[in-house]
Amino acid sequence: MARHDEGVVTVGRSRVGTFFANSTGIVFGLVMLFPVYWVLNTAFKPDKEVRSFTPTFWPHEFTLDNFRSALGEELFIPSMINGLIITALAVAAALVVGFLAALAIARFSFYGRRAIILVVLAVQLVPFLALLIPLFLMLQGAGLTNTLVGVALVYLVLLLPYTVWTLRGFISGIPRELDEAAMIDGCTRAQVFWRIILPLTGPGLVATSVYGFIQAWNEFIIINTLNDPKNQNLMAWLLYNQTERGTAWGPLMAGAIITSIPVVIFFLIIQRNIATGLTAGAVKG
Amino acid sequence: MYAVDSPPTPARSPQTPPAQHAKPVRRRSQREARVAWLLSLPTLVILIAMLAYPLYRMIVLSFQNMRLKELFSGATPPWAGFDQYTKALTDGVFWGVVGRTAAFTVVSVSLSVLAGLGIALLMRRVHSKVRIFMMVAMMFVWALPQLVAAQSFRWLTDSDFGVLNYVLTKLGLDYATHSWFVNPWEGWTVITVLVVWAGIPFLAISLSAGLTQVPKELLEAATVDGATPWQALRNITLPILKPLLTIVTTLSVIWNFGLFTQNWALRDGHPEPVYQTLATFSYTQAFGRSNYSYGSAIAVITVLLMLGVMIFYIRQMFKIGEVD
Repeated sequence: MARHDEGVVTVGRSRVGTFFANSTGIVFGLVMLFPVYWVLNTAFKPDKEVRSFTPTFWPHEFTLDNFRSALGEELFIPSMINGLIITALAVAAALVVGFLAALAIARFSFYGRRAIILVVLAVQLVPFLALLIPLFLMLQGAGLTNTLVGVALVYLVLLLPYTVWTLRGFISGIPRELDEAAMIDGCTRAQVFWRIILPLTGPGLVATSVYGFIQAWNEFIIINTLNDPKNQNLMAWLLYNQTERGTAWGPLMAGAIITSIPVVIFFLIIQRNIATGLTAGAVKG
Repeated sequence: MYAVDSPPTPARSPQTPPAQHAKPVRRRSQREARVAWLLSLPTLVILIAMLAYPLYRMIVLSFQNMRLKELFSGATPPWAGFDQYTKALTDGVFWGVVGRTAAFTVVSVSLSVLAGLGIALLMRRVHSKVRIFMMVAMMFVWALPQLVAAQSFRWLTDSDFGVLNYVLTKLGLDYATHSWFVNPWEGWTVITVLVVWAGIPFLAISLSAGLTQVPKELLEAATVDGATPWQALRNITLPILKPLLTIVTTLSVIWNFGLFTQNWALRDGHPEPVYQTLATFSYTQAFGRSNYSYGSAIAVITVLLMLGVMIFYIRQMFKIGEVD
């Protein structure tokens, strides 16, 4: 049953089976991509092709009108700017605060360390929407509803546990021997931090902030609950962009593309981290 | 945002615990501990102020009766004892929501994990170019924001101009201007397909990475000894994959049980009673009907229902050595 092709194990493989597997793989990929393709297809069609009972499978008449009309919507650009401000605030704060805690967990052994790890792990599992009611009341009491800072504060908490956890992984990845060698050569702890740990964690900081950006950028329920229509981000705009005639699908899909572009690009940059990180943890034992 | 997404820690392995390092460190332990707590302090303060305290407020709120009046006046809401819980637990609508959420979770998680495993196994058998194509396709789906994915399905299933009805009608079925959300079974099928479609990339890519850990020699030896592919899968591949499979299944349960975005978006932000899940139900009670206490009670019950799964997840993370 087993054949050897250039040292590759081919367990129970036949030509027909391989052909079948390849075909299934291609069909699977096409099916997965179809909704994505349909968003693109719709965004570049004129309205008469979008609102047609016989949909066209590619834009017969290519147009950028939908993008123009999405960008021209009163709240589109303001929502985009709001989203950028909130995301930048939340990610920057999470990075600074989280890095310190990650350093403590990764590089110090102290009483209570496991407890902190447990807290960081556990809070990631709390369904955040459940906390939205008390958070809303708290921010309302502090006069922070309908502000960008209030939303950024909530996003900070949303990102912080993940940030601590991920950076902890990157810092533990730096061999302790490096710290020790530097200290033998006369470095202080602070110098070890500035000269060794910080530069070597660089890629980790990038990956973590990119992931934080994606999380904050994609959020729409919290901001929609806390803020008025004028202080939304793009995702919230996408959810409630309706006209009296129903959904304007062309501009909506164009808006969806504009909103997704930074996320998709960032995601594809860090996907290696996300995919390998998972298995690195789980196949160890 | 989940811990399992953490990057690899190549410098460590469970076989070599950092015991050699721990000893000299312990001698200076007092100063070390002070620095470490100082470094952790900002994080702990934020987590306590913005997570622990709200959690406490939520529990308190669930024993009160807070309505719009108290929200505007700022007065302490009247105490209601277990009224909110009694109201929920004796309400058929609430139990309907619980059952629906649980059923959806079981069905969607089973389907996505099975599909993910199938795709991961398939990816081992296909030509490398096909494998790359599958990976690229899945990466795009994975990268897509949840809401955009939901909006794209709303558009695909649109009753007038949706391509799904067009294709089905072309195939000879009478689906012109068919509305997919009138019949809840059909509506939930659309939601489930959306969730499974969006969930497959994470599962398939993680599991396919896990499959590379299965030694080929072992499979080869089994085949030489006359094992069928099915036996090799059951007795070799799956046991090795088990820790990873457990983690990704647990995560899927946690995610899908908290379903909000998909049914919310597909129902235009106003899910009908048959499309309510625990998350949307709690939200609607609080922010739609200004029944903040009832919403909180439902959120508390949701957390309690999930607690077992969450504890299991954390224990699993400790067990596999991700936490050291």
